[in-house]
Amino acid sequence: MAEEFEPRIVAFLCKWCSSAGSDLAGVSRMEYPANVVPIQVMCSGSISPLYIFSAFNRGADGVLVSGCHPGDCHYIKGNFYARRRLKMVKQLLEYVGLEPERFRMSWVSAAEGTKYTQIIKDFVKELKPLGPQTKLRRTT
Amino acid sequence: MAKIEDLKEEAKKLLREGKVKYIIGYGVGSNGWMANPVFVKKPEDVDALVWDPTCVHNLTRFLVDEKRRKGKEKQPDTRPVGIIVKGCDSRAIVVLLQEKFIDRKDVYILGVSCEKAGVVDEKKLAKKLAGKKPSQIELGDKDQFIISTAEGKTEVPVAEILAERCLECKANFPVIFDLMSGDKTKRTPEKPFGSIEQTEALSPEERWNFWKTELDKCIRCYACRSVCPMCYCDECVVDSINMAVAADTTAEEKSEKIKWIQRSPESSENFVYHMVRAIHLGGRCIDCGECERACPLDIPLRFLNKKLEKEAKELFGYEVGFDVSQPALISCFKDSDPEDFIR
Amino acid sequence: MKRTGVFICHCGINIAGTVDVKKVAQELSQHAGVVHAEDYVYMCSDPGQNLIIQAVKDKKLDHVVVACCSPNLHETTFRNASKAAGLNAFRCEIANIREQCSWVHKDRAKATQKATKITKSIIEKVRRDEALEALSVPVTRKALVIGGGIAGIQASLDLANSGYEVILVERSPSIGGHMIQLSETFPTLDCSQCILTPKMVEVSKHPKIKLMTYSEVQDISGYVGNFKVKILKKPTYVNKDKCNLCDECTKVCPIVVPNEFDLGLTGRRAIYIPFPQAIPATYTLDIKACPGLLPIACGKCADVCDVKAIDYDMKPQIVEEEVGAIIVATGFDLYDKENMAEYGYGKIPDVLDGLQFERLCSASGPTKGQILRPSDKKEPKEVVFIQCSGSRDPENHCAYCSKICCMYTAKHAMLYKHHVHDGQAYIFYIDIRSGGKGYEEFVQRAVEEDGVLYLRGKVSKVFEENGKVKVWGVDTLTGKDIEIAADMVVLAQAMRPSQGAQELAKKLKLAMDKDGFLAEAHPKLRPVESVTSGMFLAGAAQAPKDIPEAVAQASGAAAKAITILSQERLFHAPTVAKVFTNLCTGCGMCVEVCPYDAITLKDGKVEVNEVLCEGCGTCSATCLRSAIQVKNLSQNQVHEMINACLGG
Repeated sequence: MAEEFEPRIVAFLCKWCSSAGSDLAGVSRMEYPANVVPIQVMCSGSISPLYIFSAFNRGADGVLVSGCHPGDCHYIKGNFYARRRLKMVKQLLEYVGLEPERFRMSWVSAAEGTKYTQIIKDFVKELKPLGPQTKLRRTT
Repeated sequence: MAKIEDLKEEAKKLLREGKVKYIIGYGVGSNGWMANPVFVKKPEDVDALVWDPTCVHNLTRFLVDEKRRKGKEKQPDTRPVGIIVKGCDSRAIVVLLQEKFIDRKDVYILGVSCEKAGVVDEKKLAKKLAGKKPSQIELGDKDQFIISTAEGKTEVPVAEILAERCLECKANFPVIFDLMSGDKTKRTPEKPFGSIEQTEALSPEERWNFWKTELDKCIRCYACRSVCPMCYCDECVVDSINMAVAADTTAEEKSEKIKWIQRSPESSENFVYHMVRAIHLGGRCIDCGECERACPLDIPLRFLNKKLEKEAKELFGYEVGFDVSQPALISCFKDSDPEDFIR
Repeated sequence: MKRTGVFICHCGINIAGTVDVKKVAQELSQHAGVVHAEDYVYMCSDPGQNLIIQAVKDKKLDHVVVACCSPNLHETTFRNASKAAGLNAFRCEIANIREQCSWVHKDRAKATQKATKITKSIIEKVRRDEALEALSVPVTRKALVIGGGIAGIQASLDLANSGYEVILVERSPSIGGHMIQLSETFPTLDCSQCILTPKMVEVSKHPKIKLMTYSEVQDISGYVGNFKVKILKKPTYVNKDKCNLCDECTKVCPIVVPNEFDLGLTGRRAIYIPFPQAIPATYTLDIKACPGLLPIACGKCADVCDVKAIDYDMKPQIVEEEVGAIIVATGFDLYDKENMAEYGYGKIPDVLDGLQFERLCSASGPTKGQILRPSDKKEPKEVVFIQCSGSRDPENHCAYCSKICCMYTAKHAMLYKHHVHDGQAYIFYIDIRSGGKGYEEFVQRAVEEDGVLYLRGKVSKVFEENGKVKVWGVDTLTGKDIEIAADMVVLAQAMRPSQGAQELAKKLKLAMDKDGFLAEAHPKLRPVESVTSGMFLAGAAQAPKDIPEAVAQASGAAAKAITILSQERLFHAPTVAKVFTNLCTGCGMCVEVCPYDAITLKDGKVEVNEVLCEGCGTCSATCLRSAIQVKNLSQNQVHEMINACLGG
């Protein structure tokens, strides 16, 4: 029996909202697939486009960036800059032909453990049929 | 009609009075189908300057070199540099001013208007000439280029050999200048982003194949970076070859200098390099086309930067290179920025 | 050579139940730079912490990673343990393998693999951590309060009574704000001046309060704990210590201008006292109204002044002060009647706003407490009050509710009925918002005891006709149109931030919300703090509110200011941005995006004010050259973490 493809996902979570929401999912003992490995950053505004490219270059099958809802950013407006910057990254990645489902952004607040769980489940489900990300992955 | 004669008087005066260090302009090209950049230091050499449709270069890159030179001098000559710019080139100066890379007083801008036409695509022109060397190329009044060779004059419709970026021109006359020759005839392009329509219309798989074929050719010669006026960073983030070492750079920092991207020209690394460059030029590229012109492998780099120029305009209402006081694309935001892609 | 120690916590069965902790420890012991790896049942316990301390000493560790629960819980615990062992606290990092791993997965193999990846990524991070020390700055233990209304007065008294020196700056000649203009306050109908003047006197007499009236803040620089303020003291041309309030000067002054205190219902002289109980108790010469002092065009007031208090040579002064905390209490103004096209553009003399009506009710007001029509001084027998005038109207005026109008309109109607027993009061309303203590009962009193008629509906037009003020409204509860030929109309105009608040906010670099009120740091949990560290908000400057709320907020702001002033030094997290000047080209993009204005451009390079920087990293993501990065979360570190997360 062929082993089912398990996508490898890197998630950038902002400390004050999304990482706290992810913690809440844990405290509530929710369950989601283990495909996502989280990296906690201070603010979604600190996500450089280089990180996204680096993740795909290192073989990530999916990249998630999650931050505070607009207006709720702990650092006031970092997420607004993230929204603009990462939209540009998304457009560029799609333009070069990367499957649009592979790069995702979400707003998850510290109270949204359920939402976070669902986002991960949906993400893994949508990535499985796409198979491994080979387009931008480094092969050497 | 923009004529170099209009600017020569001023150029001579500036040099005679020592008001500028030198003037960067166009001179007659050795092959006839593309002008050469020239640096005029003496008033008597001003007559070497030309203006015709073969003046394809964006001379503003030399302003970057000038700043680097000044940075190394102990007592730099702070006089401005004169420069001949087309409409598109002048927008590059606006971006350099916006980013405080140069001061307004560092340049004396001699502008030329492309009026109803633009410059030639030197590769198309070369093909048309098929080996013949032209002595002169000028714009006629019936929307044609008049090419004079040893065998006489030929007329070619502008549309046949015009540079593709001129069809999408946003500024056919300089937006900033101290003196300008030619009329300020505004020409609104029919399709401001027409060149990428075809690529955008492809399916994701087709697009991937297109870019893979193109970017696999890249040998990482970095000609595109060297010729771009916006790529003025001392150290490129994808390429630590010239790691800027300061007096206080520790040994640990040097050893820790991670090359997150390899310099080898493999597909994955090439993609990262070009994507990073495109992202870093988002909201800064003015489509002078030099990167594409300089590329030895004919990679259609314009298509990459154009896409982000389009997104900047359509998603964020951001236009590059018209307003010096405008903040950079990524250092401002609007409440109305799209978030339909965010869950 | 890096010597990293890794400690995997079982957390009882919370982690070990799903994650094979021994396997993780074993695998990580093989990782480059790891010289010590062990697992233990409860790392946060004393024996657990001792393991860290022992290992740091025995194995000469220079970095520690603890893989356990969320850093929110025990990061401080393990950093303190590391510090006790002699290791820099910032070289101890936490890998969350519980909330974000063992608690959310069931598959043992996958959870173990993920726990290893997470911990590896933190190892890669900690290896590149700098040894940081918390920043500390000295504190100037003095406060500045801007605005001398009830909120400013309360805050100043709370600060002064706690032992701190306060500078209270007020731009008009006297403190008191709008509260001193009121006749009575709801719901008790206390005389406003009677309850406020004792506080005003306390301010004037307090040894710790430096009262600067007729003064304005010109410039502020510096940062929390260390602000430098320039205050412009405008010349009053009257020496306040000599003035004995004899009032002879006003009798000879030839100039009459509209009296701001009575909102234009009366006039005043160029030399005047705003109201009898003004603090400081002195007259002021309004240089804009006076015919001129250079040369002296008139000079009559100085001639009659027995005590020679008038000094035409007084000059404006710039006073420089250093303070540690600032409270902004600049209050409100009413939305101008001129904006109300439907209600006469403010031109109908018998259409008043709430503050003007308040002055009519006041015993010291233009009509000595009698309610009289401004047009013909006759007593109005029918008065229409219109609530929500300019508020709750997103299309034409202000979208928000001004909070106090329902209450003061009920009060006005009641006061009117108390003054004019045979008068009829009508109130057009949309809702009645009377949520405070005793408020609902107060409104019911207006209906039941004073016969005020409440009509639910908006007024579409107010206009003059035959000496009356015609009101066209509707009563939505009966569905009928209503027309009233009123003698007077009182508009409950919206509350707006006071004039000039915007300019002041710009000087202080204080954020404003979409309606122009000062923005609080968090709408729910930080209502008195501004986004700028060290600056606090009190009163109607932050949002429409009534007097008890303003007082409460003022005391709250004072308490917050005291958290700064009570310390000798302020400590600030050192994980701030740092600039690699050799890479910086001075483009200034980072300066634009910094939410705290912590970055400045100087001589072609940027500099970070470490005390203002909160370490969010937005600057770092914006910089095209990665020339500015956050200490201990640099871009290199993140790239290595990404690699480790993907199994590299």
